[in-house]
Amino acid sequence: MAQPQLSDAQLIARVVVHDDRNAFSDLVRRHQSAVRATLRRLTAGNHALADDLAQETFMLAYRNIKSFRQEAQFSTWLYRIATNAFLADARRRKEDLLGDRDLELTTEGDDEGAAPAEAAGSDHARGATLRIDIDRALAVLSDAERAAIVHCYHNDLSHEEAAIALNCPVGTVKTHILRAKAKLKSRLAGWESQ
Amino acid sequence: MTRAPEMNDSPRSQPADDWLDALLRADGRDHRADYLDDDGFTARVAAALPASPAALPAWRKPAVAALWAAGGIGVAFALPGAASDAAHEIIRAILAQRVSAGGIGTALVVLLASAWTAVAVVLRGD
Repeated sequence: MAQPQLSDAQLIARVVVHDDRNAFSDLVRRHQSAVRATLRRLTAGNHALADDLAQETFMLAYRNIKSFRQEAQFSTWLYRIATNAFLADARRRKEDLLGDRDLELTTEGDDEGAAPAEAAGSDHARGATLRIDIDRALAVLSDAERAAIVHCYHNDLSHEEAAIALNCPVGTVKTHILRAKAKLKSRLAGWESQ
Repeated sequence: MTRAPEMNDSPRSQPADDWLDALLRADGRDHRADYLDDDGFTARVAAALPASPAALPAWRKPAVAALWAAGGIGVAFALPGAASDAAHEIIRAILAQRVSAGGIGTALVVLLASAWTAVAVVLRGD
């Protein structure tokens, strides 16, 4: 008979009380996709860096799991750690990754208001093209604005949950979203008629 | 008609006719639907976890106890006669006591009173 799947709270209790490494591995397996995908968005598609930051995120989660008070979902708490890891790393390397990408974007033909590719006939192709355009548009946002968009739209968090993940007041999240959308509107204007 | 976003809007309650909102939502749905294969990620994290204090060898405690016992025996042998002298003195002191029925009775009363007090304290604590 198959064993019933344990909830996040039950697995966390096992880790806290018995230092159960297998329970923590189950938590990692369960949440790795969401955390890595979020970091891939935050790092503008840098998969290697995203995976390094994801590993750092889970290491920090393991070390600090006793401080997790279950006031938010475990995934939201992980997003918070991941966002902090990303922002700290971005501060460390502020002059290379995003700076280079900004330069690349402006020199690759200023595609402000990028139009969807003509060849994007199928839904799949349209989705892929949209993703590329959104990734490029996200790259021009500030780190905090990009994190707000990723949490609210890609991770489908409410403003309150995003505020926990971003470790800032709800009003600040709303401001980031408004500013980000104002910038994205001009970058993605070509999609308005689609 | 496109409504201007308001500060108190939640991303889940934005109007569907906001084209940018709809675009971001569509991309978000695709993003959530894409599951990233583990590809050894969990194993890498598990391997990088710090060593647990519980992972110390099981023989550590008995070995320490054995060392202490060996040390004690060594001290006893290093002081010849001291241990047996002390034991003899203790036995002599006990045997020198006068034992009477009254003394035994008093000791029993004191012991029973102590036990009853201890039980009463424990039960009150519960």
